[in-house]
This record gives sequence, structure tokens and C-alpha cells, in this order.
Amino acid sequence: MTGILYHGQPNGPSFTVLAAAFEKGVDLDLRAIDLVAGERHSTALPHPIEVDQSIEGEGPVLVVDGVAMTDSVFLACYLDEVGSGPAIRPADPYARWQMMAWCRYVIERVAPAAAALGNAATPPPAVPAGIASADLDARWAQAVEAKVDEAQLADSRSKIFQAVEKIEAQLADGRDWLMGDFSIADLETHAWLAGMRAIVPDAFAAAPLTDAWEARLRARPAVAQALGLATVPEPEAIWAIGPEINRWG
Amino acid sequence: MTDVTLYHWEPNANSGKPMLALFEKGVAFDSHYLDLLNFDQHKPDYLAVNPLGTIPAMTHGKLVLTESTAIMEYVDEAFDGPRLMPADPIDQWRTRWWMKFMDQWLAPSFSMIGWSVFVGPSVRQKDPAELEAAIDRIPMPERRVAWRKAINGAFSPEEMTESQRRVALGIGYLEQALGERQWLASDEYGLADINGFNLAYAMPLSQPQLCNDELTPHIMRWLRAIYARPATRACWALGRTDLARRISLLESEPA
Repeated sequence: MTGILYHGQPNGPSFTVLAAAFEKGVDLDLRAIDLVAGERHSTALPHPIEVDQSIEGEGPVLVVDGVAMTDSVFLACYLDEVGSGPAIRPADPYARWQMMAWCRYVIERVAPAAAALGNAATPPPAVPAGIASADLDARWAQAVEAKVDEAQLADSRSKIFQAVEKIEAQLADGRDWLMGDFSIADLETHAWLAGMRAIVPDAFAAAPLTDAWEARLRARPAVAQALGLATVPEPEAIWAIGPEINRWG
Repeated sequence: MTDVTLYHWEPNANSGKPMLALFEKGVAFDSHYLDLLNFDQHKPDYLAVNPLGTIPAMTHGKLVLTESTAIMEYVDEAFDGPRLMPADPIDQWRTRWWMKFMDQWLAPSFSMIGWSVFVGPSVRQKDPAELEAAIDRIPMPERRVAWRKAINGAFSPEEMTESQRRVALGIGYLEQALGERQWLASDEYGLADINGFNLAYAMPLSQPQLCNDELTPHIMRWLRAIYARPATRACWALGRTDLARRISLLESEPA
């Protein structure tokens, strides 16, 4: 299989997809783009609805057979289907439901909080030209102008605390990985939380199981390979615009 | 007797997704109707099943499942019957992409409008003290905020305008996608269509200026084709309110 993966620094959704590709041994043409400079909106990339209206915001784009695909968890599911490496999803339907429900929690609750905190910590320099989605454009403008809604940031910090508590509870039975066996849930959870240690350190102050889990994760060859693609010392400090915070609260 | 129980409200939005998936798979299930407008989902009996108090939930033997879209994937994988997730990996990706787009972007806009014109006014007639007590029993803080907004009619004009903007755009995206292929995510009927139908079946009635035979012929073709399926008829027969009866609009002939 041949495919082109346009990706940013190995943080957030780009991390998930790069690591999943390496875990599964899928050979892709990797093309690094600067997501924070808005290169995802350039005419060099295809722009179907699924790219321009991706819920994930500035995530990676995988092009296979002329189809441009987005949204990191679903890209990882795709790579699991087509790759030859060991499965990164449980085979049992109920265990698979647990993994998909966990990932839904991460993409809906944790990712928007992490991106908002990351953008507030290091606002992007300018709103790029060519953004098709008006709501994504508005999130860019808000981040660039550093229009910080304190209540929203406080809520985002509490979401990071809750996520770490949830991981501690999940690992409490002594398991190595969130779903028992290693899975996409480990990648996607790490993708959004790695950069939160510097921004919300208190959330990790008493989380020994999370610490050990992250160390195990980073020791995996595929994860190390993904992180090795970074062109900056701390890729987890690089934040492009993420998913929007749920409009219903 | 069956070992599957579905706790649901009307065949509509989130409740309707696993209902219709179960009917399409031919899986027998015990239907446990919860009256959302009577806050049945926040009462002790149901919280014993789903402590978060969200609808729907499904039990399969001793297993408990929540999150309607994830339940649909489970139903497709755990039971015999026609395959509802396409076989091709790219079509699988497209199925999940559309379900997420609808679940997290389009449906919340529809439901903000729906809650302000239907749910809010329906429950507002209750005794205020009783209503306040009912809201206090909601386990998730996010849902308490949403219910207070719906009941007080407190969605801001900006929020409503934004929701209407998204509804108009979303209808355009659906029309475009359904112009490219017969079904939403692949050439076969599947989970994306089941998800989408629950969102869209009443669009010709609720958004007649945006969704009609002239402007959105592909959407209308798609809705009528899904309405014609025996599983859809059986599923919507479980509805008890005018909400579900809106589906009869699809009996009309193309203009």
C-alpha cells in the first residue's frame, strides 16, 4: 500500500497517526508540514469536506488512492486494518466498544481542553489564509489574539485533572495498558496529555501509575520512532488549533 | 426472552441509532422506554444501569454499554445478521468520519434548535420546584447546564444563529456527499446512514426552506429509501410522541 501522510510535529493527533503507522508497519510517504503556520490549508493538500471540516482541527491528513482522510483515531483504525503489525485494537466486540468509548471521551473532552491550554500557553503567530471552516477560522483568531476565557481555561484544567484520575483508576488493577492490551487508546490519550505535564503539572503530582504507563509507552520502538521525527527539542510544546470546546458546555 | 435490553427514548437522535441498528441486524431486544420529558433517565432505577444518566444504554447479558455510536459498532460486530460496517477500510474510515461529524458538529446544532422549540417548552409547564429538584438529580454537570438552558430558554441569540448556520451548511455537505454515492459513506447501506437518518429524517419538516425535493434531491432520495426499509418502519413504530410521527412526511411522493 502506498499513501501520503501530511503530519505536524509528533504531538496531538499527528503523534497518534505516526506511531500507529509505525506500530502497524505501514509504509507511508511522510511529509512534514507546519500545522502552526497553517500549511494544512495550502493548495498543496487536497481539500474535500473531510479535510476542511474535520472535527479535530489541525490534524494530519492521510491520502490513499486519491482519498484524503482525517481524524486521528479513525486513521489509526484504518492503519490497523491495512497494516501487518500486531493489532492495535482489541478483537473482542465488547473490549473494542470500551476502546472506542474511551477514545470518544478523549477526543470530545480531553483534546479540546488540551488544545485550548496549549494555544493559550503559546499562541500561534498569525491566522493563515485559506481556512474553509468559519468556526475553525474563529478558533484560530481567538488563539492568535490570545483572547483567553478564564472560565474556559479553568474548566480545561479540571478536564486534565479528571483525565489523569481516570487513567490512574483504569491502571489500578496492575495492567500495563489502558485497555489491557496495547491499543489506539494508549496512543490517543498520550497524544493529548504529553504536553499537559508542563502546563498543568499539579494534575500529575500524585499519579505514579500514569507516570509508569507513559514511560512504558515512550519505550516502545514505534513511539520512539514517531517522537524521533520531531524537528524541535520539545514537540509536546507545539500546539496547532484543536477541536472546539463542546458548545453545550 | 432475550439477553439484550435497550433503554431508549423516542426513535430519534441518539436513542434511535442503536434501535435502528438492532432492527436492521434482526436482533431481538427488550425495549425499555424512558420518558426524557419526565426525567426517567435520572431516576434511581435507570441510574443503577447507567450512573451517568445518559440515554441510550444497552445491556447484553451482564455487559452494559453506553454512547450510541459506539453501541452501534458493537451491535454490528457482536451479532449475526447483515454487515452494517462496510468491508473496505477506506469506507470504514468514511463511516466513522461522518458519524463523528454528525455526532459532534451537526447534531448538537440541530438539538439546540430542537430543545429550544420542543423540549424546553414541553417541560417548562411543570412545577418549578419539582423541575429544579429534577435537574439537581442529573449526575453530569454538563447535562445540568444544558437542561437549565433548555428549560429557561437561555440559549443566546448568537448560539442559535451559529446553530442555524451549521444546520444550513451541514445540509449542503450531506447533499454533496449523497450526490457522490448512493449511501452516505459507501455503496452499501450501513451505520453512517442509520446515524444520519436519525439526525435528518425530519429535516424536510423542520428546515423546509433548506431541505426539499428541489434543493436537496439526493437527501430526499436517501431519506425515502431508508424510510422504505422494513426495519425503519418497525423501529419508528416504537415512538410514542409527535416527534417520531414526523417521519410520515417521507410518505410523500417526490415533487
